[in-house]
Amino acid sequence: MQPNGVEILLVEDNANDAELTLRALKQRNLANQVHVCRDGAAAMEFFAGGAGPVPKVVLLDLKLPKVDGLEVLRRLKGDARTKAIPIVVLTSSREEPDIERAYELGANSYIVKPVDFEAFARAVSDVGLYWLLLNHPPQ
Amino acid sequence: MNWSIERKLPLFVTILLVVVAVVQLTIGYGEVRQASRALADKRLPLATRVMADLFQTGQGRARITALAKDSAIVAFLRSGGRRGREPALAAMRRLTSDTATNAGLELRDFGGHLLLRTGKFAGADSVLISPGKDSARYGPLMRQDTTLFIAIAAAVGQEGTGGIVQQVARLALNERTRKTLTGLAGGEVTLLLGNASGDPWTDFATIVPAPPQGVLTSPVPVRYERGEPKRAAAAPVAGTPWMVVAELPTRTVTAPARAYLVSMAPIAALIVILGALVAWWGSRRLTKPLVQVTRAAEAITTGDLEQRVNVQRDDELGRLARSFNTMAEQVSRSHHHLEAQVAQRTKALEGTNAELESFSYSVSHDLRAPLRAIHGFARILLEDHNAKLDPEAQRLLGVIDQNTRRMGQLIDDLLAFSRLGRKEIASARVDMTELARLVADELRRGEGDRNGLELRIDSLVPAHGDRALLRQVLSNLLQNALKFTRGRPDTRIEVGSRPDGKETVYFVKDNGAGFDARYVDKLFGVFQRLHSAEEFDGTGVGLAIVKRIVQRHGGRVWAEGKLNEGATFYFSLPDGEN
Repeated sequence: MQPNGVEILLVEDNANDAELTLRALKQRNLANQVHVCRDGAAAMEFFAGGAGPVPKVVLLDLKLPKVDGLEVLRRLKGDARTKAIPIVVLTSSREEPDIERAYELGANSYIVKPVDFEAFARAVSDVGLYWLLLNHPPQ
Repeated sequence: MNWSIERKLPLFVTILLVVVAVVQLTIGYGEVRQASRALADKRLPLATRVMADLFQTGQGRARITALAKDSAIVAFLRSGGRRGREPALAAMRRLTSDTATNAGLELRDFGGHLLLRTGKFAGADSVLISPGKDSARYGPLMRQDTTLFIAIAAAVGQEGTGGIVQQVARLALNERTRKTLTGLAGGEVTLLLGNASGDPWTDFATIVPAPPQGVLTSPVPVRYERGEPKRAAAAPVAGTPWMVVAELPTRTVTAPARAYLVSMAPIAALIVILGALVAWWGSRRLTKPLVQVTRAAEAITTGDLEQRVNVQRDDELGRLARSFNTMAEQVSRSHHHLEAQVAQRTKALEGTNAELESFSYSVSHDLRAPLRAIHGFARILLEDHNAKLDPEAQRLLGVIDQNTRRMGQLIDDLLAFSRLGRKEIASARVDMTELARLVADELRRGEGDRNGLELRIDSLVPAHGDRALLRQVLSNLLQNALKFTRGRPDTRIEVGSRPDGKETVYFVKDNGAGFDARYVDKLFGVFQRLHSAEEFDGTGVGLAIVKRIVQRHGGRVWAEGKLNEGATFYFSLPDGEN
């Protein structure tokens, strides 16, 4: 673990969803090194230059202002420096075209946000646990 | 074999020509044959009459009558043969010389004794014919070995002092005579001479058997057999007991008919061949435009609307071709018009569809986010600030919690339902037994250790359709069955199928709460529920989804039930690929 780095990058424009996500991660003690971007452009900026910290996972909403989630996904997976970073799509859309397109672009997971808060919290914390603690990325 | 008009017409014409030719040849042959027979029947009696006249030897009779009255003969006989022998012999020698080899002349008394003789030929040593009183008489044809001869006799003087002069003459039978006579009669006519009473007969070269009596007595020519079939006519020789027969071989009679056949048959064959060729050519000329129209029509049937017929004629076929082209033009035009319309409508529909899609996307995304916030923050209030809330506030937060969950479920179901309308239906063979068992096992696990649950799945008829969607149908129906039997001591759920005409009917039967049959119409409507949410949970979309899936497969759904006595839900799927 990088003591001062960013482990989770949350790209989420909805402040409520972001708060709920952070709360769910906090319950598992995973919220310390979360960085939140409020739109796609900010997310791209985060990676710009390649000098910044490399998160262990990106939680990416699809419907984002400025640059939308699928575009962010396309650019990150298309860049040799960032394509190894796991990206989990976390969205309200369960539309088939979105799911297909996301996997095509190289998403590592696709999770539909449940309306039910308990289910939502469980999903978010499971994702965090899996990618941060269980997954073994290439060195 | 393809019996097109192009082949049938020439064939028909050829058969017609052959029939006409055969009839024509047969009739012609018959007529020629009859004509040549009539000609022969005219010629034969003529020949016999000519011959009969030829043999009427009036001169011979006159001469022997004159001899019988000769004074030297009379005197010799009157003297009893004693005087005047030399003058008598001299008179006889005038008729038949002593050196004649083919004839003989005898003078005998009435007793038959030979008195005098001249000539070397003697038929027999007797009186051969008893002569008439006052004139000479010919006797019948006589035969001695291979020689034929005739005799003529005349009486001389009175009884007692008279006698008989008798002349015999041998018939010269040889090929030359026969040929001469045949030449006289003309062509192949054979002439026969003989006695009216029978043998002997001759053709002037050899002795032949007598013709049958039928030939000799018939007044007209008849057919008879002598070596080969012949036609023959007979005539008596006047003043003698002889008859003449003229005959012609039948093949000679029918020869002209045969010649007619031989000369006409090739001509007829030529006509038939020419006729067949002309018919073939004409039929091709006639059917070629028809074939063109047929081909073009077939091409149009298979979708090539630009096919036209090129026939430059002014007759009915030309009119047909022009009408056909006009028709094809109209069909093509209306087809293009239709296609344009379809394209336009499709575009409009696509627009509507895109709108719908973006709408449901918005519903999916934008409605769920605030709902999640309401639910999430209500939960946070309940969890983190519980101590500060009085029981009523906690209850109210519970109500918010429940309703937001329900709203979420409604949105999810509604989206699932609307997606169904747009989803492509895959079509493959689906093993319904396996699918139903899979669904049932999954649901049974969710039921935990529910007591008295009997879920029976028969062997189901395989279906053709979208496996994922059919799984949804079975899942929804079984979920319903499990839901509406909850709380019953014994649950019996049965899944079965039966073929019904061109479709297969599947059913899920339970012994649960059932429904009031009066409201059966409402069962499959969206958000339609026959039970309160307190009794049985659910949003009322499950059966609507079932109905939509089955309808999109071309099938039907219906249900039977009675309140508290269970329900049976049916759905039908068409067989095979349709």
